[in-house]
Amino acid sequence: MGIVRDEMDGSNEQRQGGESPAVPTRRTVLALGAVAASTVVTVRPALAQTAGSVLNCEIPVPGPDKVGNYIAADGSLVAPGTPGAFPPAPRPLTGEEVKVMLNHGPAPRGIDAEAAQAYVNYIRRLQAGMSGFTCFASLQMPR
Amino acid sequence: MRHRFELQVGPVAFRVGSAWAGPVAALRRLYAGYPAPAGACDFTVRLEPERPWRRWLRPSVAIRGDYMLPDAAPLALAHGLLAAEMGMNLQMALGQRRFLLLHGATVERGGRALLLTGHSGSGKSTLAALLGERGWRLMGDEFALVDLADGCFHPFPRVVSLKNQALALFDDVAGERLGPVLRGTPKGTIRHLRPRSEAIARMDEPAAPRLILFPRFGRDLAAEARPVGAAEVFVRLTQASTNYVTLGEVGFAALAALVAGTPASAIDYASTEEAVGLVEALWAA
Amino acid sequence: MAGPLYIADPADCVRAVPLEGLTALYHRPSGTTHILAPPAPQILEVLAGSPADADEVAERLARRFDLASEDAGAAIAARLSELEAAGLVRRG
Repeated sequence: MGIVRDEMDGSNEQRQGGESPAVPTRRTVLALGAVAASTVVTVRPALAQTAGSVLNCEIPVPGPDKVGNYIAADGSLVAPGTPGAFPPAPRPLTGEEVKVMLNHGPAPRGIDAEAAQAYVNYIRRLQAGMSGFTCFASLQMPR
Repeated sequence: MRHRFELQVGPVAFRVGSAWAGPVAALRRLYAGYPAPAGACDFTVRLEPERPWRRWLRPSVAIRGDYMLPDAAPLALAHGLLAAEMGMNLQMALGQRRFLLLHGATVERGGRALLLTGHSGSGKSTLAALLGERGWRLMGDEFALVDLADGCFHPFPRVVSLKNQALALFDDVAGERLGPVLRGTPKGTIRHLRPRSEAIARMDEPAAPRLILFPRFGRDLAAEARPVGAAEVFVRLTQASTNYVTLGEVGFAALAALVAGTPASAIDYASTEEAVGLVEALWAA
Repeated sequence: MAGPLYIADPADCVRAVPLEGLTALYHRPSGTTHILAPPAPQILEVLAGSPADADEVAERLARRFDLASEDAGAAIAARLSELEAAGLVRRG
């Protein structure tokens, strides 16, 4: 490491040569950054780029192991008939449709706009092991 | 499986098995002139019925193989050729360990390689295919294969996938290099274009990288080129790789060497002519 | 108030490549890659295998550099928090 060079060694060599330095040694300035600055970015793995071109995926809402549950507006699963909650999506949503909605585009054909928003929130909450996670993960495209 | 096709593309050998004759016949026509693998195949793709009865009843092609993804929706039999291409992409994306894979297109001229990278819709595949018709050698349109030892790009010239409006740009290529028009696919209208015979003949000739470009196509964009800082290039390329993390330190070293040694620019353009002009100007610089 | 002691892994646990003023860093124990801006790589160097609190980190850095900061203690504490969140330093 050490992209910021250490100037001290240079002046030591000059002294060992028996000559006084003709120019005073200049130390490098190291800025410590503002308290709120961000100096560490961790690289996260990406399934996105290529998976988007290889995969035609679908996300059932809810997943096949949760059939029958309704979807609340915030995407959580609730008992069927819960007031304010939406019935399961009439068909699985495709990767393309979800990508559009994640970018604040229109709801898919045949799906009510408010219900679609609830479905998107459900999809955002998907974790590994739940049906549809890989598809959702493949839609994440950090810029 | 009933129907089989084997294919060598650059350093990778594929076997595609299919329950139906159609997709294999289409592959054979599209990949005419490609060598058959000399030895064992590296990856196998299997086009199978989603359920046994879906081989005949509303035929539905599930993409399976050595490597598979859950939640993958099947395709209609009419799009079997696309399923085979997606299947080969999937094997590379999930199983390739001999090279660092970067999502992008590569072309070569004068023994040096240009990498065009960015997300879907950026126009990189179309631009690479166009350059391939204008004196550049197309090395690949989907994956750049970076040699882990010496950093060279290895050719991987599969057929190019042309989408929607881009198709009109290739009206003058020889008809037998084009696959069938596939309408109503999950990615819209697609047609495949076989690279020129020289690109196929030279599929074993690597090239050292010389320039990295991040193209962006938009009808409202003013033609422009901007340099991109090395750290930003590095991070963007990690996001464009399916095997960077798997390769560990070897992947890190290969990517760092590529980025440290290769200049990079972002280019915006609204037309083919602008794009080619920007590429030629940056290449000459 | 010096705050907690931090320590980083020994220098041979990381591989660093300069990229135009920033540093690409591969952390071998975790297999994670990070991009660091100054003074983060320098802080890792002075903490490699040798624990210190924020004040001591400032002193070690000051032996080599002229520190430019309105509030060195707060700035270094902030950098240490970032490095801790990234898994590159830990409390010790």
